Amino acid sequence: MTAIDVTPTGAAAPEHIPYEPPRQIRWTGTGLLLVFLAVFPLLFPNPAVTSIAVITMIFLVAAIGWNIFSGYSGYISIGHAAYYGIGQYTVALLAMHAKVPAGWDTFGLLPVAGLVCAVAAVPIGYVVLRVRRHTFIILTVAVMFILQLLAFNLVSWTNGSGGLEMSFPTWQGSYFNEPFYYVGLVAAVVACAASWWVRRSKYGLGLLSIRDDEDRARGLGINAARTKLIAYAISAFFVGVAGGLYAPFIGSVYPQFGFDPTFDLAVAVLVFVGGIGTLSGPVIGALLLIPLQQYFYLQFGNANLYLIAYGVLFILILRLLPAGIAPSVTQLWRRVLVARRRAAARSRAVPALAVQSSAVQSSAVQSPAAGPPEAPPATAAVPQAGGDEVAR
Amino acid sequence: MLVLQAIIDGILVGGFYALMAGGLTLVFGVMEIVNFAQGIMVVLGAYLSYALFTHLSIDPFLSLVITMPGMFLIGIAVYWSMIRPIKQDRVIMSLLVMFAVGTIAEGILDLVFTSNLVQISTPYVNNSFTVGSLIFPDIYVYAFLMSVVLLAGVYYLLYRTRFGRSLRASMQNPTAARLVGINTDWVSAYTLGIGVAMAAAGGMVFGLTNSFDAASSYDLISRLLAIVIFGGFGSLSGALIASVLMLVIQDVVAVVWSPTWGQTTFYVILILILLVRPQGLLGRKAVRAQ
Amino acid sequence: MLALAAAACGSSPSSSGTSHGPITIGVSVSLSGDFSGDGLATKQGYETWAAFQNAHGGILGRKIQMDFLSDGSSPTQVVTNYQKLITVNHVNFVLGPYSTLLTKPSSVIANRYGYVMIEAIGGGPSVFQQGLHNVFDVSASAKYQLITFAKWLVATHKPEDVAYASMTDPFLQPMLDGARAYLSAHGFTSVVYKLYPLETTDYTPIASVIAASKAPVVVLGTMPPDGYAFIQDFIQDRYSPKVLIEASGPDQGTAFVKAVGANNTGGIMVPNTWFPGSTYYQNSAMVSLYIKMFGGTANNISADVAEAFSAGQVLTQAVDHIKSTSNSALEHYLHSGAMFQSVQGPVKFLPDGENSAATPFVFQWQHGTLEDVLPAGVGHPVPILAVKPAWGAGG
Repeated sequence: MTAIDVTPTGAAAPEHIPYEPPRQIRWTGTGLLLVFLAVFPLLFPNPAVTSIAVITMIFLVAAIGWNIFSGYSGYISIGHAAYYGIGQYTVALLAMHAKVPAGWDTFGLLPVAGLVCAVAAVPIGYVVLRVRRHTFIILTVAVMFILQLLAFNLVSWTNGSGGLEMSFPTWQGSYFNEPFYYVGLVAAVVACAASWWVRRSKYGLGLLSIRDDEDRARGLGINAARTKLIAYAISAFFVGVAGGLYAPFIGSVYPQFGFDPTFDLAVAVLVFVGGIGTLSGPVIGALLLIPLQQYFYLQFGNANLYLIAYGVLFILILRLLPAGIAPSVTQLWRRVLVARRRAAARSRAVPALAVQSSAVQSSAVQSPAAGPPEAPPATAAVPQAGGDEVAR
Repeated sequence: MLVLQAIIDGILVGGFYALMAGGLTLVFGVMEIVNFAQGIMVVLGAYLSYALFTHLSIDPFLSLVITMPGMFLIGIAVYWSMIRPIKQDRVIMSLLVMFAVGTIAEGILDLVFTSNLVQISTPYVNNSFTVGSLIFPDIYVYAFLMSVVLLAGVYYLLYRTRFGRSLRASMQNPTAARLVGINTDWVSAYTLGIGVAMAAAGGMVFGLTNSFDAASSYDLISRLLAIVIFGGFGSLSGALIASVLMLVIQDVVAVVWSPTWGQTTFYVILILILLVRPQGLLGRKAVRAQ
Repeated sequence: MLALAAAACGSSPSSSGTSHGPITIGVSVSLSGDFSGDGLATKQGYETWAAFQNAHGGILGRKIQMDFLSDGSSPTQVVTNYQKLITVNHVNFVLGPYSTLLTKPSSVIANRYGYVMIEAIGGGPSVFQQGLHNVFDVSASAKYQLITFAKWLVATHKPEDVAYASMTDPFLQPMLDGARAYLSAHGFTSVVYKLYPLETTDYTPIASVIAASKAPVVVLGTMPPDGYAFIQDFIQDRYSPKVLIEASGPDQGTAFVKAVGANNTGGIMVPNTWFPGSTYYQNSAMVSLYIKMFGGTANNISADVAEAFSAGQVLTQAVDHIKSTSNSALEHYLHSGAMFQSVQGPVKFLPDGENSAATPFVFQWQHGTLEDVLPAGVGHPVPILAVKPAWGAGG
């Protein structure tokens, strides 16, 4: 079934091994990361570096947002660029028609862009969430392409292929990127908080149970349609904010770069690499992959070598860390802990160890929501990993 | 008359799209893997025929005798090196792995053939004949006939041979197939080989009728996926019907309204169909639980 | 991120302040993605210019060193690239990328750091509507690209039906609309006007609509792939318009001949800012150097090469005149109304950066070569074939 239950946890100690590192380690880690991100532009003020940092922040917000829906519900959307595009057009159109001056005022439009996306997500979600799995994937792509084509065709609104321009702030080049970076960072923190809340709330448990087995979740009385729709709208909100930040940063909006099919692949890939359905996965994925990708581009003047290197690296990650970085690290940490406990237990020579059946252990990892109450929703779980067979 | 002409064009072009999409849907049906690299495989097939034509003057249709077995072997190699090691979550993981394979293939093709657009231009590429006032370009007619023959061949393979039986058994119940002694690994490998070989044939026609480079694969794969979903995952005849429908819809809309709305219309129809039949036109009924 | 930051900082050359090292010139080029074909030609054009100029003493007596970064046709990457070129690599000057789509964001970046952006392949109206003072387009801008053709048609033909089709593109569409507005104002009837998206791969329905209209004049806003496809479809439809002009495709030299067949090229027109046999400034030197560097024949040199080369030429003349590497002095001088020479002809900038001296040429395939036919009186044009020979009637 999954790579997870191959780990030698079968004979683990009866006392609960927590599914993630202890609270103080997590909080210290988060704090250190935040401090590092907060001072990053001071350490590396070079615009070429901060420009990459802004792009990283934009993708970070989008990735966290995408994960709130796709990661937690198990519905993989490859059409969230729909909201990336709506966010971009919202900011550009509002700035133009409401005559919002370029600069800090533009950032005030970000929540509006997010809200517009969340509202747009309701009817769209109502339609696309009626189907599952690959049909859902393709449906989301189809919706995204429809919106892209509309952006091309509704010329009086969008100026078609000519795109929309945004007037640009008069900030100096040496610190032009910093405002975008910090606004992006704030958005990312808010997105993280939202993701954390969803993960820990009763609502989130409902969402996770849909991921594990939608039909059973329905049976348990969860209003699956509404639960999914809410997550879909929250997720659209943050992807819209990411788009709203991108538009003034680049200074123009085009249909093919707003409703960009490669955007979705990029976001999905980095969440998968980081660890889908986990809180930290999108963060790790975005902070690692986006700079790496841009660095590759800068290093390999030859685009074809870049493509080969990126593809090979991607396969290596998938092969070595199939569940993503965050779960793999957690797993490694657990394995160390289990080995240590087992060594301790052996020295105490407690015979009761054999009682623990591996089946129980594996199902606990498999579907965290249905697991023992003391186990918080595990970061180690891979969504629907071979879940079909398990369920039947 | 224009509309009739558009319908005929759509049917003819739809034929070879079915060939490319057929490889994709077959592979999905057997292995539940989404061969995201099918687009670049089509382009690879086009480049191989192009190279054989320009350097050795081998007619593109004849070149299939070389390219199809070659691509068949590539498919098998990709299966053993890339798909076989995937242990979990096959649908999504295979999509990601094949995306990576496609990226690498794109880089290599770009390196070998450069990014200048090329087209296979045989002397007969511009010929056509007329029936009444309807025009039939020779090349599309040849391509359509070839697609029908190849699809029929695959159909025969699936439903009239021992291999086909084990393949369909693997499709319906892999565990049971393994129990009765079918080597599902080799069945899967052959299937991917066949799927990729179909891409080689489709690619040859693509190269004859379009100028292309490695980046052409992105447009292709999104169309092919849409066709496969529309027709129903795993259904060859579904792929054929969906390809023809897609092209006919686009061509007719382009003629009576505007080309810019052709694709939009197709996607809207796709969504409407999927809302009524989530499994696609001819897909298997049971959509597995999430 | 750390490793990247360190590497990005570490890779900056120390030559920025010295005035004896090479003059570095940064360009972001599209070597993959939608513009990869033209992106490569653009890069070769810049390389040819640098090699040529270096063989002739460089600029201000210093060698030229090109600094290329690849952008995958993505505006996100182009923005990062120009910032890296300017702030990390400390290039002395930047030149434009390929396409209007990418020129727009990159000119904003250049402006932010006080850099001039001389560009040759970003002439869509949106580039000049940004209110920037640092953008200079050495080629003819979009809406004027077909004007020579339109004037010729009005002068020599009585009003006729015209069929138009164009890709929805920020350069091609304004180009087509420019011609359509002029022709309609002079009594020509627009019988077909079709726009199609970039993703289109099957052009047969559009072609058959045009064929069915039997319009004697066809004006197409094409890129090379659709440019080839339309001709193929017209031949299959046995429809041979009297006048056929395509925005691009016929300018692609042997690639075009191979795609549509040598016997079918005769009479097809293409507007262009350049041609291999031009007698303009340094053109023959560029052509022979290009062939030496990249092989092939004069006829398969893409116009992108000449456009990029022109941007370099204007930079050379302007910098040699101001005798410094100051971008602000450069900007001031380019705005002064000075006249420059390029392989595409004279260059003189309007306040918004458009080239007011540009004379878009019209070329026509005759007997297997792409001949300069319009405008009369510039260079040595060949007499124009007013009626396109039938398909298969030879080159």
